[in-house]
Amino acid sequence: MHSLPAQPVVQLRHVSKEYYRDKLRIPVLADTSLDIPAGEFVAVMGPSGSGKSTLLNLCAGLDRPTTGTIVVAGQDLGELSESQLTRWRSEHLGFIFQLYNLMPVLTAFENVELPLLLTNLSRRERARHVETALRIVGLEDRMHHYPRQLSGGQEQRVAIARAIVTDPVLLLADEPTGNLDAVAAVEVLDLLAQLNAEFGKTIVMVTHDPRAARRAHRILHLEKGRFEEADIEAIERGRSSGGDGERRRSPRAPSAEIAG
Amino acid sequence: MKFLPYLLKNVARHKLRNLFTMLSIGVSLFLVTLLYAYLDFQEELGKQSADYRRLVVTHVEGLTALMPLAVVDRIRALPGVKAAMPLSWFGGLYQDDKLPFAQFATDPMQCMDVWTEYRLPPEQLLAWQQDRTGCVVGNVIAEKRGWKLGDRIVLKGTIYDCNLELTVRGIYTGPDSGDPEMLWFHYSYFDELLKARRARAAGRIGTVFVKVADEANLADVARRIDERFASSDTPLRAMTEQAFVQSFTEMVGNVQAFIQNTALAVVFALVCVAANAMAMSLRERVREVAVLKAIGFQRRTILGLVLGEAMLIALAGGIIGVGSVKLLTTFVDPSVAGIPGLTRFYVPWNSAFTGLLLAVGVGLASGVIPAVRAANLSVVDGLRRVV
Ligand SMILES: Nc1ncnc2c1ncn2[C@@H]1O[C@H](COP(=O)(O)OP(=O)(O)OP(=O)(O)O)[C@@H](O)[C@H]1O
Ligand SMILES: [Mg+2]
Repeated sequence: MHSLPAQPVVQLRHVSKEYYRDKLRIPVLADTSLDIPAGEFVAVMGPSGSGKSTLLNLCAGLDRPTTGTIVVAGQDLGELSESQLTRWRSEHLGFIFQLYNLMPVLTAFENVELPLLLTNLSRRERARHVETALRIVGLEDRMHHYPRQLSGGQEQRVAIARAIVTDPVLLLADEPTGNLDAVAAVEVLDLLAQLNAEFGKTIVMVTHDPRAARRAHRILHLEKGRFEEADIEAIERGRSSGGDGERRRSPRAPSAEIAG
Repeated sequence: MKFLPYLLKNVARHKLRNLFTMLSIGVSLFLVTLLYAYLDFQEELGKQSADYRRLVVTHVEGLTALMPLAVVDRIRALPGVKAAMPLSWFGGLYQDDKLPFAQFATDPMQCMDVWTEYRLPPEQLLAWQQDRTGCVVGNVIAEKRGWKLGDRIVLKGTIYDCNLELTVRGIYTGPDSGDPEMLWFHYSYFDELLKARRARAAGRIGTVFVKVADEANLADVARRIDERFASSDTPLRAMTEQAFVQSFTEMVGNVQAFIQNTALAVVFALVCVAANAMAMSLRERVREVAVLKAIGFQRRTILGLVLGEAMLIALAGGIIGVGSVKLLTTFVDPSVAGIPGLTRFYVPWNSAFTGLLLAVGVGLASGVIPAVRAANLSVVDGLRRVV
């Protein structure tokens, strides 16, 4: 294992989350505790519907746990109001989505600039930050292209630039390679690994792809509302012997198909 | 504002839809502004005439009841009155005209003392005063019809059973707010024709225009006139020229309330149209709104962005509508509209401003519901939605 600093960036204590659809109770997370130390790169795996996205949403303060406390970067999210959470998010978090979610009417530059519009930075300073972020993801020459003029992998890299432009401590990525082909997926994973290693970003990445998960320091397996430390070798073995049920239950994972 | 480029790009993304919204706002505000401008224009004319310190005297029963000519001299004798002249609408047709232009029987000896804002060269005034069948015309109508000094003008009576045979003796000019398309002639010549036909209107006049002396108070003089004739055979009513001008607008069946109600209905319809388009645009953008909120955009920022977008669209429509009214009325002769008595017309700035304000109001009102919805959108739900 990696040697890690003491203060965890993400700390879940007895967190449970349930949804109600009509009168029906849907338990998603059950009494979960979890520490993610600063500088760690964690992959979260698990069957579809196991609550991986829910976990990320909770860590991002986009949703609130039914019980338990969540402390991220030293802040107890339960203490913040809706608008304080929003503000906190803009300062401490970077979000990367499966579907990139760039604004189609904005250029790569403008998309990356978006989170900076919420700060007091001057136009010139914003431009400097945007250019730095785009240089890190290797797209400084595509600055003035629109999303439709970019490949999927490039779009995702712009989305990563948008996530890191405010220099957040924590990056949350929900199936960032889920829509990409193998080559583009590797590029994105290389980039995440670089952000982790060079810039010390703590990363929590949800993925269905074991090859993606292998890039992380640690793999958490979420099943029936609980975590297990997963043994990647075991997953690989299970896969090659055709006994992996996860793939059949995860329709939104084309990269897993390519990997297999 | 740093969000403006984003706003503009969002407006531009639904080109056809927003163009239709803008056009419907544009066309409607074109009409509404035109109606408002008509009211404002009348009011502005009234206000300007307040500076000229004039009273208009009519029979208490209104314009249609005539007064004997003798009241003019009696009014002129009252303290505070500087000059007074009769003014009667003739309403004759010139050549092949379908509608009469403004022709007035008046007193050439008093005329330039009452209508002090108009200019007539002294030798032309003298020539007019000395020719009983002489007349004076405005410079604009003279130019339009090609009339020059010495030309003969025959006006065929429509209200009165007589024709006037006039000679142009003078061409007056006036200020922008004045009417440069009138024709003035001797009341005495007109009266002579009426008497010869034993017409009931002989020796009678429609209005008396009174110039109030500088040192006198308009209201005092008006009251003095009212009191002087209150118990006579012909009780009179004096009002300021401003009130007189405005009474025309009110005469046309309470136009004001009608116009206001119409405008209200139109604006309401516009709000519905624009709100519908805006709601549609945002429904297609649920994911984007969710992403903005995930990035850290506050509810009030989202609210502002959507309202701003709705207002931009409406304002663009307003500029199209109000702008074309303004251009149209600046460059097109209002007489083509065929409204009798409407020889000049412009859109006062305050009506144009009202039109634009209405547009902004439409934008705001139409944006409220979509904006509140977007601001309250749950990020988690929004991100789940696959569009
Ligand atoms: N807003 C909601 N209302 C009701 N149920 C919900 C809601 N959000 C999630 N769920 C339920 O919670 C469970 C976990 O959902 P979640 O999206 O976290 O799964 P996931 O692990 O990310 O799955 P996938 O791999 O398909 O993305 C699912 O059963 C889902 O139906
Ligand atoms: Mg998910």
